[in-house]
Amino acid sequence: MKRRRGSSAAAWACAVGLGCAFSSGAGGPAGAAGNGGAAANGRGFEDITRQAGLARPHHNRVFRNPYAAIMAGYTALGAAAAVGDYDGDGFEDIFVTDSAEGGKNHLYHNNGDLTFTDVAEEAGLAGGNDAENATAAALWFDYNNDGRPDLLVVRFGHTQLFENLGNGKFKDVTRQAGLDRYLNSIQAIAFDYDHDGYLDLLLANYFSPVNLFHPETSRFFPESFETANNGGGVTLYHNNGNGTFTDVTAKAGLTLSGWTLAVGHGDANNDGWDDLYVACDFGTDHFFVNNGNGTFTDKTATATGFDTKKGMNAEWGDYDNDGWLDIFVTNIYDDYMREGNFLWHNNGNLTFTDVARETGTYDAGWGWAGKFFDYDNDGWLDLYVVNGWVSAGPESYVPDIFAMIVRPGVDLADARSWPPMGNKSLSGYEKKKLFHNLGGQLFKDEAARHGLDSTRDGRGIAVADFDNDGRMDLFVTNANAEPFLYHNVLPAGAHWLELKLEGRKSNRDAVGAKALVDAGGRTLLRFVDGGNGFASQSTKRLHFGLAETAVVERLDVLWPSGLRQSFAQVAADHIYRLVEGGPRLEVLPAGLRAARHGRPAAGHPAGAPATLPIDPRGKQR
Amino acid sequence: MNRRLTWFFLAAGLAPAAAPTPGPANQSPAPSNRPPAVEQGATAPAAGPAPGPAPGRDPAQSNQSPAHSDQSKPDLGAMESAIAADPESLRTASEYRQAVIRAREYDRAIAFFEKLVADRPQSANAWLNFGYAYVDKIPAAGSISQVILANNALTRFSKSIELRKSWLALYTRGNSYLYWPKIFGRAPLGVADLEEAMALARSGPRKNVYARNYVALGDAYWKTERPAKARATWEEGAKLFPGEPQLKARLARAGNAEALEAYISDQLDPNKRVDTDLRPLWEGP
Repeated sequence: MKRRRGSSAAAWACAVGLGCAFSSGAGGPAGAAGNGGAAANGRGFEDITRQAGLARPHHNRVFRNPYAAIMAGYTALGAAAAVGDYDGDGFEDIFVTDSAEGGKNHLYHNNGDLTFTDVAEEAGLAGGNDAENATAAALWFDYNNDGRPDLLVVRFGHTQLFENLGNGKFKDVTRQAGLDRYLNSIQAIAFDYDHDGYLDLLLANYFSPVNLFHPETSRFFPESFETANNGGGVTLYHNNGNGTFTDVTAKAGLTLSGWTLAVGHGDANNDGWDDLYVACDFGTDHFFVNNGNGTFTDKTATATGFDTKKGMNAEWGDYDNDGWLDIFVTNIYDDYMREGNFLWHNNGNLTFTDVARETGTYDAGWGWAGKFFDYDNDGWLDLYVVNGWVSAGPESYVPDIFAMIVRPGVDLADARSWPPMGNKSLSGYEKKKLFHNLGGQLFKDEAARHGLDSTRDGRGIAVADFDNDGRMDLFVTNANAEPFLYHNVLPAGAHWLELKLEGRKSNRDAVGAKALVDAGGRTLLRFVDGGNGFASQSTKRLHFGLAETAVVERLDVLWPSGLRQSFAQVAADHIYRLVEGGPRLEVLPAGLRAARHGRPAAGHPAGAPATLPIDPRGKQR
Repeated sequence: MNRRLTWFFLAAGLAPAAAPTPGPANQSPAPSNRPPAVEQGATAPAAGPAPGPAPGRDPAQSNQSPAHSDQSKPDLGAMESAIAADPESLRTASEYRQAVIRAREYDRAIAFFEKLVADRPQSANAWLNFGYAYVDKIPAAGSISQVILANNALTRFSKSIELRKSWLALYTRGNSYLYWPKIFGRAPLGVADLEEAMALARSGPRKNVYARNYVALGDAYWKTERPAKARATWEEGAKLFPGEPQLKARLARAGNAEALEAYISDQLDPNKRVDTDLRPLWEGP
């Protein structure tokens, strides 16, 4: 599918006046915002958490049952974030979770000036942590295709669905949606697996559905460190299109019993149907191919092989720009456990090869979320990975866990077999990794250089352009600690393009839609994901770093419905909106709210709209 | 110093099987050269790039010559009978274990040696080979199973030493301790074993295989924060065995603590197969 074209398009476009008039975004009012001291220090990111009003800490759940002391070490989870523009004002908002009993979740409204206001109480979204439920993650998705992002609050307990009423308020519709059920879910994604135009839900369940708050048995811990099959598996809910969901897990062929920590979707074979990667703790991950008929086939044996690692993240992205989506999975790497991450290179034939060692992405400590994004707009997807399990006292928990492991006949499934962690540390105080992509074959850690090497216990990474300046920012969640908002302040010279897609025949969020951009002799592939990555949902807006390319020669959008739309000579440095089947790209306002004076009017057409015939199978060029 | 240790109680044989591994920055990630998935982490896909040896990969999977392939179905039963008849024979047992590795019949070998030591509990070499059988399985196991296997190996080596203090057993157990993470404080035990092994080595005729003792003892000093003594040991070894690549590799990095640490850590990666082929004991000077 790779397409190579000449790179003289930019010069030609300038000559005919198509692109240059719109190419000032990053260097103009939008790009100027915040591009100050940190960049001058050589740092690409600035920690603006406190001034942004986001410095409220996450708190772990403290259980009150006979196994509480043991569970404490294994439930330092739930620090999550989901990015979405819930009020449609053009600025990405953030939902941030807490997990403590009585702890408030936060809905941070983006004020458009890199400050945020917590409106969770008014919105009806602050609850979620009571004696019977602990928030673990969250997901924005438009389940009823009304154009307003709804919110799924994922919990150990009963996951909740809140309908966005459009007036800043949300309504709990969990019961009427058919989702009221006890599951120990830890992550969720929304994607339209059957192309009926509605987003379906896939829940990643960690523990089996034993009630963790009042367990009736002590045997609810993993039965093995490498082949555990007593976890929660996954649950697939089909969206019936009428506000209700039906559990179709078994029917779809997704019955699993692993300790699922993350699920991620992407079109591995470019057939238009999104496939699945299921990352599991204490046992093998799974790869499922979407058969295109509402079912999936487990192809783990031939696609990746079975593993014994501690999968904690399932992120898809084309890191080497070869037109095939690759997968990044975090595992554990420490002195005592050298598993290492997986960077599954897509071979293009439904097989993958782990190239983590060869690319330098193998060691990210005790990894959690890992997200692809192009932080320097050079057209290559970089990787940010957060890590660290429990950073506590100077004593290590390693000897305790080892003593258990080698005990003859130990029943690992019994929580009582596990030593309490107390105030000991395990893979704590680890430095985060920013793997800079050096051209698709090698990555170099630049976290320290850019001020991203915190040692807090990271969990989630929500990537978004919070100030609409074409440079991707990071919101990072930390267990039992304050989060970080890292503002991208790299010099604004490189060109970029962002694309907000809106489905019509396809789901409104356009999840699963792919876009291909020809820039500088390369073809960049991006797709709209429905929440991939551990404990964090990034923006649904597609972002392309274009380096020197001021005008994109060609932009193709492939919708889940099968529709393909193509545009030529698209000016860089804009945020565009495209409605499925619509005739043109609409320029959305860029930059901070205060800097928008004098911007070109929204809706200015760009490029030469050229909707191509529909390819019903969505085959790519 | 960013010390990277590992808690795995690997028992090293006579030579690391893998060649010195460059760091990621020096590795070629060319798509055509991508290695297959690994037995430890994941099994290889049915289709994909041509297989080739790579760091951390089980050489049993990809390092076989056609001749080895011809030997991939040896008569393990006959070899077991031979060992049972002479459990002290290092050569017979070593050949058997190499055949087991090629056939990936690790559990069979463990079961065989378990029975052998039950039948011949006073055979020091049977216990030693029992320990090696656990070591042989380590790179094919998951990270937690590696711990259990390595721990099992260590107890068998100790039993062998209890029965007879041989250079090989002391060297093997001493080297095993070096795979433990620092937090367990096992490296000093490694120093003690390796110093005792060295004393035995010095008391007899020189053998090329003793070069490994200098390597391991230097590593043990390094791991116990005695870099000067480590370097002196490697230098002493290099004078006696100037061709030894492991000594050369360490001395080449001796001026750069970080590079040396990374190198030693890489050499002690439990995902790499440790060569437990004992042929150097009777082949060569």
